[in-house]
Order: sequence, then structure tokens, then C-alpha cells
Amino acid sequence: MSSHIRQSFVMTRANIFSLPRRVSISLSMVLSVALVVCVLAGFLSMAKGFETALQSAGSPSVAVLLGGGTNQETGSDIPASVIRTLEAKTDDIGVARHDDGSLILSREIVVTVDVKPVGADAGRTIALRGMDAAGSSIRDNVHVSDGRLFASGTREIVVGDRFARELGLLVGETIRLGTVDWLVVGRFSAQGSAFESEIWADLDAVRSAFDRQGQVQSLRLRLAEATSLPLLQSQLSTITTTPLIAVSEADLYAAQSGRTASLIRLFGWPLALLMAIGATAGALNTMMNSVSDRTVEIATVRALGFSRLSAFMGTWIEAILLAAIGVACGLTISWLAFNGWQASTIGANNARMAFQLVVTGDVMLIAGMLGLAIGVIGGALPAIAATRLPLATALRSRG
Amino acid sequence: MTSSLNHDPYISLSKITKGYKISGDDVPIFSNLDLEIPGGDFVAIMGPSGSGKSTLLNMLAGIDRPDTGSLRIGTSRLDQMSEAARASWRAHFMGIIFQFYNLLPMLNVAENVELPLLLKPLSAKERRSRVEKVLDLVGLTGRARQYPKLMSGGQQQRVGIARAIVSDPALLLCDEPTGDLDRKSADEVLEMLRFLNRELGKTIIMVTHDPQAALYAKRTLHLDKGNFVEERRAAL
Ligand SMILES: Nc1ncnc2c1ncn2[C@@H]1O[C@H](COP(=O)(O)OP(=O)(O)OP(=O)(O)O)[C@@H](O)[C@H]1O
Ligand SMILES: [Mg+2]
Repeated sequence: MSSHIRQSFVMTRANIFSLPRRVSISLSMVLSVALVVCVLAGFLSMAKGFETALQSAGSPSVAVLLGGGTNQETGSDIPASVIRTLEAKTDDIGVARHDDGSLILSREIVVTVDVKPVGADAGRTIALRGMDAAGSSIRDNVHVSDGRLFASGTREIVVGDRFARELGLLVGETIRLGTVDWLVVGRFSAQGSAFESEIWADLDAVRSAFDRQGQVQSLRLRLAEATSLPLLQSQLSTITTTPLIAVSEADLYAAQSGRTASLIRLFGWPLALLMAIGATAGALNTMMNSVSDRTVEIATVRALGFSRLSAFMGTWIEAILLAAIGVACGLTISWLAFNGWQASTIGANNARMAFQLVVTGDVMLIAGMLGLAIGVIGGALPAIAATRLPLATALRSRG
Repeated sequence: MTSSLNHDPYISLSKITKGYKISGDDVPIFSNLDLEIPGGDFVAIMGPSGSGKSTLLNMLAGIDRPDTGSLRIGTSRLDQMSEAARASWRAHFMGIIFQFYNLLPMLNVAENVELPLLLKPLSAKERRSRVEKVLDLVGLTGRARQYPKLMSGGQQQRVGIARAIVSDPALLLCDEPTGDLDRKSADEVLEMLRFLNRELGKTIIMVTHDPQAALYAKRTLHLDKGNFVEERRAAL
């Protein structure tokens, strides 16, 4: 071991043993670091949880077809000719087929409607989705929780569980959507995903009620296999020059969640950084206090011949150690408090969506680094101060 | 390098000036100080409070530096050395004994005494055996694991002495080593210093207020108005 390392080591050890003299101020530094780590870990795990929830909600073996140069349903349009050509294809285009050989697909449109709960003043904007009969079966994790599905050609609707709960809607009631009344024949659950905040009805019924004859916004297809998407994409490019986007449901949600997750991070980072700056100032104060508390000790060993470097390292390592303790506390608390915590936010189509916070290794690493940075930066200046102590003055005072 | 200095720690101060700025005013402490101390001497430095005794000792230790003049110890010009060089110089050639012992309270006796040895290329085993030897020498056998706080002033100062001599320096600087001790403990410490001077050949410079303490030295210098007056030279 080189002499410098040995000196630094013994200085650090002496510092740590002297920590009980500075318990409260050292604790305050540990706590402020822990707080910063908690805040950042909280936001990051929220963003992460949101992504995870949406990514797992989407199935890789369902393809969503969008047209009109958008990757959202709103504003998308698929020409009828494309659908006819697709349906006429008899060779393998990567899409699963019914027993009769027809493609498993659902043509869909979404109209936003105002629903006014009985007795409420303000209405709520909600997505009414018109779909083919196969529509609900091309969504994994969806099942009818009460009543039955709508019948073709009727003004019947099934209502997502979350929305039904919020409005207190029961099977057998009628509600007015647009200019006509609709009969609630069933409710469905979708494992908390965004669909649960929608109303589903027959495609043609929705088209005629809202004057959207012939319109198709999106096409949902069950792929033959999860790996069939490229085949479908290449087939599409041969039958039409219309720009069409075929993505897996999983990717579609991932893209949508990306925006919200970025928003959460965009809010979390500045807050955490601002707090980190405050904590750094606190760390600076703590370590300045430590240096002045150890003035005589530092001057004594320097008088014995210890190097400036050892005075620097002893102080700096103490700061980093305190920060590390704070990081450990912060991560433990984050893990216990946040991991698996339920939260909800606004998801796609303006519907609330629920998700779980996940404190992943990445999240812990990043939050931990920020916490350590507080010690590294906040400890540096006091460590320099420790090397600049005027020895003659310091040695005057009683040790 | 070690041997040349350790054989002849001849101290020579020439035309030293030193002052402090106190609230804007330059206050001179030494204006033209000359001093020669041959190796093997045991010098007591006395003088009124504020006359600059500690300042002189700090300059000899390389903790403080003269404003002008030359300060030579052995073959080294302390006034021309960098801060780092002086620190390393202290580590190799000098032991310092403080009035208030300046032991590190969170380290035990052995760890305190070991500190100067950490600056040398010694194995842990060598360090341990040196610490043990020097603790025997100052009469603290078996106290290695004790903490300084639990010891009497005299015992703590003996730890301080052990720390100062553990790396076997030629020169010992003591700033009022008995200033905080009762008569009996003071005499024990002074006996020890005399032993170190006579038997081990250490050159010792001791600042003291206590005329009794000065009697242990070979000669006493009185610092007055920034210069020395030789007060007494031991009969022997
Ligand atoms: N770092 C400093 N800054 C300003 N003035 C100082 C400093 N060090 C010493 N002095 C002044 O220099 C003078 C000499 O101080 P010094 O400590 O050397 O005296 P001393 O002889 O050791 O006194 P005492 O017997 O009280 O220990 C004093 O007036 C003191 O106030
Ligand atoms: Mg003094």
C-alpha cells in the first residue's frame, strides 16, 4: 500500500470514528440525500411502471392498421378498396382466418360522445367504438363481465367496467349517445387497460347514428403468428399505394406510453435536480462543519507530516460515505414504498389508466448516482478547505 | 539523506525576519534573528508570552515560514522548500510534542503512536513492533489498546512523546510539553526528555514557561524583543 493510500485510509477511519460528535448534522445530510433519491426513484419508477403496463397490455400477435399518415386512430382513414382487396386474397398474408376461410379482422371507428350521468351538470367525453363482431375477440385479456355482447345491426352497447363503475351504469338501462338511445346489454373488463373506459357497439349502428357511412379508421387483425407482421406489411405494399401503417398492438401502445412516460420524467428530473442542489448545499454545510470540528486533528497529523492529499481524501470520502448511506436509505425506502404501488393516469383516448410503479435496477442505479453526486460535489469544497487549514493557527487551540 | 541529517541536525538561523498582519497592521515578531544550535543539544527557550517562542518553533518545524532570512537544518534549507517537501521532511527527521498532547481521541494509544510510521515504507508487522518498543520506552507497556481520554495528562504526554520518537527522528521540538501537567508528571516527562537527549542523542528544543523545566536542558535561551540572550549553560 502506498503511503498516500495509507494516510488517506487512516484519516478516513479517524473521521468516521469521530462521526458521533456530529451526529445530528451528519444525519441531516443523510436524510436530505435519501429524500432526493426517493423523489427521483419515485418519478422514474412511475414512468417505468407506466411503460411496463402499456407494453404488456398490447399483444404482439394483433396487428393494427392505420392510414392517412398517422399512428393514432384519430385522423386515421382506411379506404374501403384496401379492405376489399385484402379480403379477396386467398393466399397467406400473415393473418389468421376463420373456419370459413375469411380473415379474422375488425373494422373500427371511434367517435367521441358526451355522456351526461343522471343528475350531473357536466357531461363526460368518452370514446364510442364501432366494431365488427370479431372486435372483442381480437383483444386479448378482454372478457364480458356481465350480460352479453352487442348483436349486429342493433343499437346495443357494451360498456367498459371502469366507465360503468364511474357512471353507475347497469345492464338493461338505456343512455343517449348523440341523437339516439342505446341499450346497455353488457359490461366488459379489460384488466384495467385503456379499453375499460370505452363503449363498444356494432360498426354499422355507430356509422348510421353518427353519419359516418362507409368510414373505417382502423383495422384490427389477428396475426397467424407473432412473427407474421412483416409478411402482412409486404403484402400491403403490393396491393395499394396508399400509405398504410401496420404495427403490432404492443408497439402501438409502447409508442403511446413513451409520450406519457417522457412527460413524467420531464416533470420528475427538474424537481429531483432542484432538490439535489439544495441537498448539495446542505452537504457542503455538513462537511464544512466536519472540517472545523476536526481542525486540530487535521492540523496535528499534517504537523506529523501527513500530506494535503490525505486531508482532502479523508474529508471527501466521509462526504461520499454519508451520501452513500443516504442513497442506501433512499433506495430501501423507495423500494418498500413504491415498488408495486398502484397509480393511475390519463392514457390513450383520454381515458384513465391504471398501472403499477416498478423500482427497477435502472431506476435504482440512476437515483443512486444522483445521490452519490451530492456527496461527491458537496464534499469537494470542504475537502479542499481541509487542505488549506493554517497549521500554526490550528495548533494553537487546545486539541 | 536520512543519515546525513540524523548525524548532524545542526540548526542555523540567519537574519530571520517574521511578522504577522494583525487587523491591517504589520506586527514584527523577529526583525533580525540569528541562532545556532549544534546537534545533540538540549535547549530550553523561555520568554514572555507573545515574544514569539511558538512562532520560532513552528518555523523550525516547517509549519510556518520566515518572511526573509535563511533557515538551515542539517543540509536542508527549510525556508526554500515547498509545503509538500516540508511535510515529508517533518515526517522523516522531526518529532513534535505538543502542550495539549494533540492525540486523536478516536484512535487508541497504539494507533496514535503508529501515525508517523504510516508515512514510511514499513510493513504492518514492523510498525507494530516499533510501536511496542517505544511504548515500553515511555513506560506504557500494556496500554496499547487504551483510549487517550481515559488516561492522565502525564500518561497522555508520554503517548505524545512516544509518537514523536517512534520514527526515530534526530530532532525533537516541544512546545510547553509540561504546560498542562502537575509537578510530578512534569518531572517524569522532563526526565524522559533528558534521557532521550543523553542516551539516544536526540537534539531537543523545548519552549517552556517553567524555570524548573528549563533546568533539565543543557542550556537556556531567553527570547526578548525578538532576539536571544543566553541565560544559563549547564555546568556539565
Ligand atoms: N497566525 C497568526 N496570526 C496573527 N498573529 C499571530 C499569529 N501567530 C502568532 N501571532 C502573534 O505573534 C506573536 C507571537 O506569538 P507566539 O505564539 O509565537 O508567542 P509565544 O511566545 O509562543 O507566546 P505564549 O507564551 O503565550 O505561547 C503574538 O503576539 C501572537 O499574537
Ligand atoms: Mg506559545
